[in-house]
Order: sequence, then structure tokens, then C-alpha cells
Amino acid sequence: MRRVLIVARHEYLVNVRRVGFIVMTALVPLLGAAGLFVAAFFGGQAASFLASTFVPEEGNIGIVDELGAFTPILPEYEELIHLYPDEEQGRAAVRSEEMASLLIVPEDYMDSGQVTIITKEGGFSAAVLEDSDTIQAFFVDHLLQDEVDPQVRRRVADPIKPVIVSLEEEAGEAEEGPLSIILNLMVPYFLGILLVMTIFVTSGYLLQGVAKEKTSRVMEIILSSVTARELLAGKVLGLGALGLTQIVIWLGSSVALSGGSAGLLGIALPFMVRPQVLILGVVYYVLGFLVYAVLMGGVGALGTTQQESQQLAGIFSLMAAIPLMLGGFMFTNPNMAFVRVLSWFPLTAPTMMLLRLPMTQVPTVDVVGSIVMLLLAIPVILWAGSKVFRMGLLMYGKRPGLRQVLRALRQA
Amino acid sequence: MPHTMLETRNLVKRYDGFTAVDDLSFEVYQGDIFGLLGPNGAGKTTAIRTIMDIFKPDEGTIRVLGEPPGVVRRRIGYLPEERGLYQDIKVLDVLIYLAELKGTPRSTAREQALSWLERVELSEWAKHKVRDLSRGMQQKLQFVVSVVHGPELLILDEPFQGLDPINVDLLKRLIRELQADGKTIMLSAHQMNLVEALCERILLIDDGKGVLYGDLADIKREHAPGTVRLRTSDPIGALPGVAKAEQRDDTFTLTLEGITPQDLLRELLDRGITVESFEVATTPLEDIFITVVKERDNA
Repeated sequence: MRRVLIVARHEYLVNVRRVGFIVMTALVPLLGAAGLFVAAFFGGQAASFLASTFVPEEGNIGIVDELGAFTPILPEYEELIHLYPDEEQGRAAVRSEEMASLLIVPEDYMDSGQVTIITKEGGFSAAVLEDSDTIQAFFVDHLLQDEVDPQVRRRVADPIKPVIVSLEEEAGEAEEGPLSIILNLMVPYFLGILLVMTIFVTSGYLLQGVAKEKTSRVMEIILSSVTARELLAGKVLGLGALGLTQIVIWLGSSVALSGGSAGLLGIALPFMVRPQVLILGVVYYVLGFLVYAVLMGGVGALGTTQQESQQLAGIFSLMAAIPLMLGGFMFTNPNMAFVRVLSWFPLTAPTMMLLRLPMTQVPTVDVVGSIVMLLLAIPVILWAGSKVFRMGLLMYGKRPGLRQVLRALRQA
Repeated sequence: MPHTMLETRNLVKRYDGFTAVDDLSFEVYQGDIFGLLGPNGAGKTTAIRTIMDIFKPDEGTIRVLGEPPGVVRRRIGYLPEERGLYQDIKVLDVLIYLAELKGTPRSTAREQALSWLERVELSEWAKHKVRDLSRGMQQKLQFVVSVVHGPELLILDEPFQGLDPINVDLLKRLIRELQADGKTIMLSAHQMNLVEALCERILLIDDGKGVLYGDLADIKREHAPGTVRLRTSDPIGALPGVAKAEQRDDTFTLTLEGITPQDLLRELLDRGITVESFEVATTPLEDIFITVVKERDNA
């Protein structure tokens, strides 16, 4: 064990000084700081720029009322919406940019519900106009003005302001609005990606380290002092600590940058709602790191050069990235069959579960099943990894073929 | 009976149906400088790697310091044929790390590393990265790596390979000093003059098999039987048991038949011949090596 710890300390100290590690570790806080800087100094301008780009000026909406239900325009809309006697004049106003868009309400509107929206450039601004709350309210108010009192009209125009309460989460605080969506979906998703990144960055260091030790021929001296398994275990431990350092720095900097509470709250809230998610997150992170670190160690020993080792490792990295590629599916249904299958497969399970856990109530059978599969897979991967590691380390200038790998696995 | 530090019995190692080490048995005694000789591809490095527990043997037994391979790693120093060091790490840090892996406490490792760097004249490079060292310096450092933790048994695979004559001399001196300190050394080499100068016992292997094994002086004598070199200014005349005599100035090379060199010396003294020098002539190890290997090739 002492030798494992010596290797671990060596690996940690060597890699913590790597330019790649320092840049990667500093990049996240720097980007955060840059974001805060932009928000502080250009926040106002940026917001108005975005608004002017994506939201049409509501005061610049013209309407041609062929139905007659919108004439005269109710006083509360007079400043926002202008009436044009015919389509020609309305089009001219849009062309001259006097109006951003023009609504044509045809005579058969009551039957068809169809309204023509004319804009200069079309596309996004027309779509935004269609969903605009003001336009919805404008139509409801005018169509029902003589029949329904104003309060009911307002309710019809905006019938639902949802307050979502999950029975399973009733103990926790219910939230509402877009912030809730961001906290519940986006933050865990990006946190998941961040954690997955640390797994790959650190296991990538392991791959590079092994390939480098192999090509620099230092490996034989090391193997005269420690066993292949001790070496691999030491490397995994040292680089695991390195990954942890990175996460602590990222979390610490996010807390510092946001003045303490906001950043921590943003990251921790989805977990705090269900503390078991946090615990399981740590479990999957550790198991995921172990699986990939050992795999990368074995693969790193197979290549004759660092590049060749990296190409071989690409196959496994791709496998772990599958859940990230399926992010869209998971947003819509985090418990779909395919997602559940990938949660059980040891090579995709850590990534998949890290992404799934904060998003939904994952069935207990999936959690237990995936952890059991990982726990069964890790000793097998460690056993096979150290066999391949030992064989690959001493084959200079020649990559072992599948037959040799299989023979190494058969040897006691 | 000398204490055995290393012993192999009927060692066999195969790769893909090719037998690299074939039924190899030998012993290295305490305080020996033992030479493992053989042409390129004879199986020296494979035998060493099996002893070092880097490869597993297919058959046979190995005992290193009385234990199976791998049990006593920290008491062995190893200089592999395939050499390399961490290029981006400082010289002193490399030595401390590798000594720690051999079980030396960090503070002791540091002291010993500094002492060895001084012995090989690399003290001023302790704080430099390994990549800043010249090739010759790196080779000396590589040797220090194998001895820095104070091993009882030192296994050096082709230690003189690529060294310039000055560093060859330095390494020879260091090996002798280690022997004087009570260490046991096994080295593989193909430079016969160096083996002759250093080793007391040897094993010559060819095609993975041991073909000559034992005390170097005995082996040389066996391969040059009955030849003595005598210097005298007296006439020697016809001597019994001398089949052939060649004279150059006052040195005679005598080929004996049916008598030992001791018998001849006694006869010379009995006859009152003044013996200025008398030596049993030996064949250079290189000649023995070539003869034995060629004989096997022709067989």
C-alpha cells in the first residue's frame, strides 16, 4: 500500500504542474469571471440588444381589420397597435419600416382563425409575434369586449400560471417559472458534463503518462520496484485526487465569484432538493472515474506511441460520450427505455446516471442495477487492465495484437 | 560453502513457440561479480527480466535472496537494457522517487542520492531536469538509479553499452567498490575484455542454453590445457612431457602432454634452471566465446 501511495503522490505532483491541467483548471473560473464582467458592464446594453433583435417593437404593429371586430382599437392598445384601412397601406408602412409587422384579420377569421402576419424579413420575428402575450390579449379583449367583464377577459387571455408540486418532492420547496427550469435541468446537465469532463481529462492524463513512461523506457525500472497492479492503482489514486482538486477549485471559484451564495445555490439547489442525488452523484463519479482510469491505463500501455494510445482510447471515450449526445432525448424523457439500457451498461452508466439523476426520479431498480453492474465490472476491468498493462508496457515498437492480449489475459 | 544470492533451476521462457531461455540453471554467490555472456539474441535479457519478475517463467524455479522473484524487489538494484528516465523531472527528484519505490525513507533517499551524485560527479546537476543532461551524464544517472537505495544484489543488463572509455573506467571502478562493500553483482555483457577484467564467475549462454558455466579462471584453463609460458635465460634442453616448445628470445611457450604445469615447474627447479617467470597460458575469453559459439553453430 505504501508503494501505491508513493506512486499516487508522484502522479499528483507531476500532473498538478502540467500546463494543460493549470489552463483547464483556470479556464472555468476565468470564463465565469469574464461572464460576470460582461454582465456588470454591458448587461443593460446586451439586454436591449437582444430585445431589439428578437422581440419586435410592439408599438410598431399594424393591423388591417377586414372582420371589423377590432375597430376602433380599445384605448389601452392605441399606443401599441395602429389600424390601417387596407393591406396596401399596411404593406407600405412595413416596407418603409414605420411598422415592424402587419396583421391582416380576414373576414372569415371567426371560422378559420387564420391571420396573416407580414414582416419585412419574415422568420423569427413573425413567430415571436404569433406567441406574443400582448397580441393574444389584444384579440381576446376585442372579440369579447361586449360580452365578458375585463377580469374574465384577462384570465382567458392568460389562463394558466402553473405552480408545480411533485408529490414525491412535496417536502421540498416548489418553484415556478424559467428559473426553476434552469435550476432543475440546465444546471445539473452542465454539472454532469463538467464532472464527465474531469473524468476524461484526468484519465486522459493517465493515458498520456503511461504512454510517455512506455516510450521513454522508464517503465522497466518502475516495474522492478512495484507490481503492475500497484503502479496502476497508484496512478488511478493520484489522478483521482487531481480530478477532485480541479472540482474543488471550480466550485470554490464559483462561490467566490458570485459573492458566496448565488453560485453555490445555483449548483447545489437541484441536489439539495433531493440529497440522495448528491450522494449518488458522488458514487457514480467515483465509479465512473475508476472504470475509465483503469481502462485508459490499460489502453495507454498498448500503443507504441502516445498518439497511437490516444487513438485506441478514442473508442472508449466515444462510448462514454454517447449519453452526452443523447441529452435532447433525456430532457424530454429521462426514463425512456434506451436511456435505461445505457444506464445499466458499465461503460455508459456513470455518464448517463450523472446526467439523469438530477433531472428526474430515476427508478430504484436502475440505480441499484447500474451500481451493481459497475461494482462487478470494476474488478474485472482492473484485473484485465493490469494484465494488458503489464504485457503492453514492455512491448517496445510493436503493438500487441488481439491474440496476444487474449493470451495475456489467460496467463495466471 | 558460499552463500547463494541468486539461483535458477531449469528455467524456461517461451514466446509464440520460440524458446528464448532453455533449461537454464546457475547460481550467483555472495560477493560475486558474475558475468552473463552471450551473443545478441542469446536470451540474456529475457533471463534477467524473468529473474526480475517482469516476465513469468514457463518452467523452472528462481530464488532471489532465497525468495521467489518479486518478493524482495527492494533489496535488488536493476539497470535494464532498455533505459530511460523521466525527462521533465529534476535529477534529485527522480532519484528520490525511485529510491522511495524501493522502500527507502524519503530523507534517507535524499541523502543517498546526493552522495551518489557526488560519486559520479553530477552534484551540480541535482536541481536540473533530466533532459538537460548529456547522454553520457544520463547513463551515469541511470546507473545511480540502480544503486541509490543500497541493494544487496545488483543486476546490470549491458551496463557498458554506449559508454565512452572514461565512463567505462568509472563504471568498472564503481562496480569494484560495490563488491568491496560486500555487494553481489550480476552483469550481462558482450564486451569480453570487460567481463574478463571484472568477473570471477561466468555463464555463457547461446540460443537460450547455458554452454559454459563456472569460475572464469577454470574455464580459461580448461580451454587452454597444458600450455605454459616460461621465461629463463638458461637453456632448457629436452624436457619430459613437453610435446612442443617455441622460443622467442628468452620466453618459451611449452605445450605439455601427460604432465601438469606443477610437474614441469618441479622438473625445472630440480634441474637448477633459473625460472624468471612461469605462468599457465590462457586463451582470451573472446577466443573461447567465439570457439564455443561457432562449435555450436556447426553442430
